[in-house]
Amino acid sequence: MADAIPQVGRVEIDDLVIRFNTKQGEMTALEKTALTLEPGTFTALIGPSGCGKSTLMNAIAGFVDPSAGQIRLDGQAVTGPSKDVGVIFQQYALFPWFTAIGNVRFGLKQMGLSQAEELERAHAALEEVGLSAHADKFPQQLSGGMKQRVAIARTFAVGPKVLLMDEPFGALDAQTRISMHSLLLDVWQKHRATVLFVTHDVDEALLLADDVRVMSQAPGRLIRHYSMTQQRPRAFSTSGPELLEIREEILGLLRPRETANEH
Amino acid sequence: MALTDQQGKTPVAWRPSLTGLASGVGAPFISLGFVLLLWTLVGLSGAIPEAIFPAPWSVWSATVEMWQNGTLPNDLKVSLSRAAIGFGIGASLGIFLGLMTGRVVVVRTLLNPFLNLLRPIPAIALVPVAIVWFGIGEGSKYFVVSYTVFLTVWFNTHHGMQYVPETYLRAARSLGASRFREFATVIIPAAAPHIFAGIRLGVALAFLSLIAAELSGASSGLGFRLQEARQYIRTDRMFSLLIILGILGASFDYLVNRLGQKLVHWEQA
Ligand SMILES: Nc1ncnc2c1ncn2[C@@H]1O[C@H](COP(=O)(O)OP(=O)(O)OP(=O)(O)O)[C@@H](O)[C@H]1O
Ligand SMILES: [Mg+2]
Repeated sequence: MADAIPQVGRVEIDDLVIRFNTKQGEMTALEKTALTLEPGTFTALIGPSGCGKSTLMNAIAGFVDPSAGQIRLDGQAVTGPSKDVGVIFQQYALFPWFTAIGNVRFGLKQMGLSQAEELERAHAALEEVGLSAHADKFPQQLSGGMKQRVAIARTFAVGPKVLLMDEPFGALDAQTRISMHSLLLDVWQKHRATVLFVTHDVDEALLLADDVRVMSQAPGRLIRHYSMTQQRPRAFSTSGPELLEIREEILGLLRPRETANEH
Repeated sequence: MALTDQQGKTPVAWRPSLTGLASGVGAPFISLGFVLLLWTLVGLSGAIPEAIFPAPWSVWSATVEMWQNGTLPNDLKVSLSRAAIGFGIGASLGIFLGLMTGRVVVVRTLLNPFLNLLRPIPAIALVPVAIVWFGIGEGSKYFVVSYTVFLTVWFNTHHGMQYVPETYLRAARSLGASRFREFATVIIPAAAPHIFAGIRLGVALAFLSLIAAELSGASSGLGFRLQEARQYIRTDRMFSLLIILGILGASFDYLVNRLGQKLVHWEQA
């Protein structure tokens, strides 16, 4: 693990509640939730479909306003999107009218760099995700895994303090997903943002995260917390039997009919 | 790119079959050749009087005649410049206002219901008003054309602005983009395919409304010449002018479409 843990990127969520007004009236998408993400940590969030994972993430990103409670980033209330909080979407959200490098430069444009410096940084960012050779391709010409790598490069290039990822590898095949895991860990070790990673895949959560948080059925609350201490890179075959036990437990919690007890 | 993948395939064996050609670039010419053949046969048979349904060769000589006496080159110049100026004014206003009503709530609230009420009014119904306001000179033509083009381009642009995917906006904002950069490099490109659809329709409508305006109340232009031919019962000239209008319209549509494919290249994936 990295030695120099940064002191920026602390996310504090105080009694956050998110409600939506729908045709059937008001519905609660996220029950009162309190959570602190320590600077530079990697937290995985797992829970049944519709429990409010994306909603929580959208609130941290500043896309959705809290109905109650507060979200603070390094002590400052989050009032809207900013480049301090990077977001990686499942559908990539690359701009199809820009090339790969154009997409990376989009974020850099706001930083007042010289053309040369901007270009250099964009190339470096693509290099980091192994896409230098594809800099001038348009997103439509790239595979799903490559698109997500461009998105990762684009987001890290602007230096976010927090990185939110909503099922980023959900659309990729198993093989690509594994290579994305090691790529993500590499890039993250280098930039060390605070990561919140939503996934449906228990294995993915256990292999990547420092903390695994489990949410209940809708309306969601956090019901379980596991601290992972195993060295990375992890594997179920080499990281000890504990990992498999946790895996079974979480799968039990996620099973639809069971009512999970508080922890 | 994606386009050449589909069209650049080389046939294994060259077989000039009708169905094969019909799907290629030659397709329109087969159809046109077929119609021309039928038309020639009708002309040769002499079944319909020339004054009602002129034969191809009569139409051709009428064309040559109008070209040589200078009316056709002048009418083309006059009509094309009217269409171009009217289109230019209408399309730029349409895009500008479409961007505004698409993004600015105040402008939308003030203008949308009114503009939607104007849309069903046919261009031809405006001609009398235009003539009262601007006389039978260029002004009334510019007005009718730009008005028609404006409404179509505005509507499509406005519509396109409503369908900018939310994730694009979210991505842009969490990358720290300013509102201006978001507007110029995210919202406009995302709406561009719709804007282009509006422009393409606008080009077609520019011709349509121009001819409507020239038919009643003009002293030059292709529409005026059609009207004049009616007075002298010169169906050969009428046919010639109609064919020219068809060719012009189709050529512009083709060019605009090609330009659109270049500019919004990502849509063809
Ligand atoms: N903008 C919105 N308006 C109304 N309801 C919403 C909105 N966004 C989310 N919801 C509702 O809130 C609930 C939680 O949705 P959310 O997308 O956060 O779930 P999720 O845990 O991310 O699910 P999944 O795992 O399927 O992605 C759902 O019932 C959803 O329908
Ligand atoms: Mg979700």
